[in-house]
Amino acid sequence: MMSDFNTIFRRYHQPLVLYAHKFVANEDVSLDLVQDVFALIWEKQKLGLDEEHLKAYLFRSTRNACLNYLKHQKVIQKHKQLTSLVNMEIRHFESGEKSLIEKESLAKIHQAIHSLSAIHREVIELSRFEGLKNKEIAERLNIPVRTVETRLFRALTSLKEELSEKLLHILLHICQLKK
Amino acid sequence: MMNDTNIPEQLIARYLNGDCSMEDEELLFRWVKAKAENEKRFLHIKDVWDASWQTSHRDTEQLLKFYQRQAVQKRSRTWPTWLPGAAAAAVLFIGFLLGSLLQPELGNSQAQVESYYVPQGSKSELVLADGTKVKLNADSRLEISADFSAKNRVVTLAGEGYFEVQSDASHPFTVQTDKFDVLVTGTKFNVSSYAEDQRISTTLSEGKIKLTTIKKQVVELNPGEKVSFDQQTMQAKLTKTDVNSDLAWVNGEFIFKDIPFPDLVKRLERWYDVKLKYQSKELEAITYSGKFKNQETIWQVLDALKLTSPIGYKKTNFREFELIYKPM
Repeated sequence: MMSDFNTIFRRYHQPLVLYAHKFVANEDVSLDLVQDVFALIWEKQKLGLDEEHLKAYLFRSTRNACLNYLKHQKVIQKHKQLTSLVNMEIRHFESGEKSLIEKESLAKIHQAIHSLSAIHREVIELSRFEGLKNKEIAERLNIPVRTVETRLFRALTSLKEELSEKLLHILLHICQLKK
Repeated sequence: MMNDTNIPEQLIARYLNGDCSMEDEELLFRWVKAKAENEKRFLHIKDVWDASWQTSHRDTEQLLKFYQRQAVQKRSRTWPTWLPGAAAAAVLFIGFLLGSLLQPELGNSQAQVESYYVPQGSKSELVLADGTKVKLNADSRLEISADFSAKNRVVTLAGEGYFEVQSDASHPFTVQTDKFDVLVTGTKFNVSSYAEDQRISTTLSEGKIKLTTIKKQVVELNPGEKVSFDQQTMQAKLTKTDVNSDLAWVNGEFIFKDIPFPDLVKRLERWYDVKLKYQSKELEAITYSGKFKNQETIWQVLDALKLTSPIGYKKTNFREFELIYKPM
């Protein structure tokens, strides 16, 4: 039982923190919420579930914890649209849609980042690894902020394509087999 | 400026990673809501953005260890009432959730010594062969020689421990520390003797104890009294004390009365298993009085300090904070 918990923790802790961060946009809050989720599965002895169910359960619990947290935070949210966009996001995932974080391993995601063009990889690394804001990236690279914004969007678009290409290949393969 | 189908690339990038004004957000929200296709598009990009984040603390192993300790701590916060009649086993442990973190280590000396260490960020308790109960505070070690028995009651402590000694007038119980020995028959008392603390002390709650220092000073304590020593000079100070505040840690609480800032920092570091750094001289001069319940996280404690004293903080690394002097 003990080793099961450790295995599960090692496998899902990082993805769950990323998943929580998606909604609450705060690293420490994400860590706290995910810690609570793990405490919960320990207490409720959910470790006996088979892996697929446990995984779904972990992601769902994390999402619910975030939703709960956001409800309590609402009062002090400054930007209304921000919460509506986040709420829209949560509803989207509640409807059964899965995040890349849940579908892909983090290793695969980083591999995909690695295969981006130099110019795209650069903005992703500066923003996602080093935590620089668009304005800071603009200063660092000595280019206008608008250029950074465009590059960032396009980098994310090609990253998305990179990641869904694999799925596409599989689909094409199936089609060819049918013929 | 923006129609429903053109993708507002810059706006989305600004929302994700820039200074997005309220007008910007309003605009983005309207575009997203205009078409189901837009919403899908936005959510996909946001999802890729979220998935590519590299958290600053990737060390899962370190976290796992930390949470295990926290779980132990959490469990021992709601300490069960003392186990009755547990004298049979040599030593009995309670309060473990995730594996046994507190394992006896065999000593190297000829006489076998069992050593019990409680890491930073947790507490534990044990019942000795003679029925004596010991609660060990964070970062403390208790050594019991293999020939410990109801007739030969000697233990060695480094750190802090609260003892409820089974009464036996003909076989006194001895707690040895680096700097002093405490000789008792049947009592309840606390020994705090961390090597790195400025002051070490013993507080008596019930009964009577006799304390002998390495300099052969002898002090006898009555209930409600506390003797403390400056580690350097071993100069003794005997005071009437509020026993509850000295023993508060036993119940998972912290009660500080005029504690010097450096000692406060050390206590919090041990208790929460964090590193607290500071540079300003002003901080060192502060003494702090206040009460914390240990249910609180280090964040809550630091926030409380921020509100009630001229102490500010910022997170510098994993489980590491810098304390800053901020005149109120």
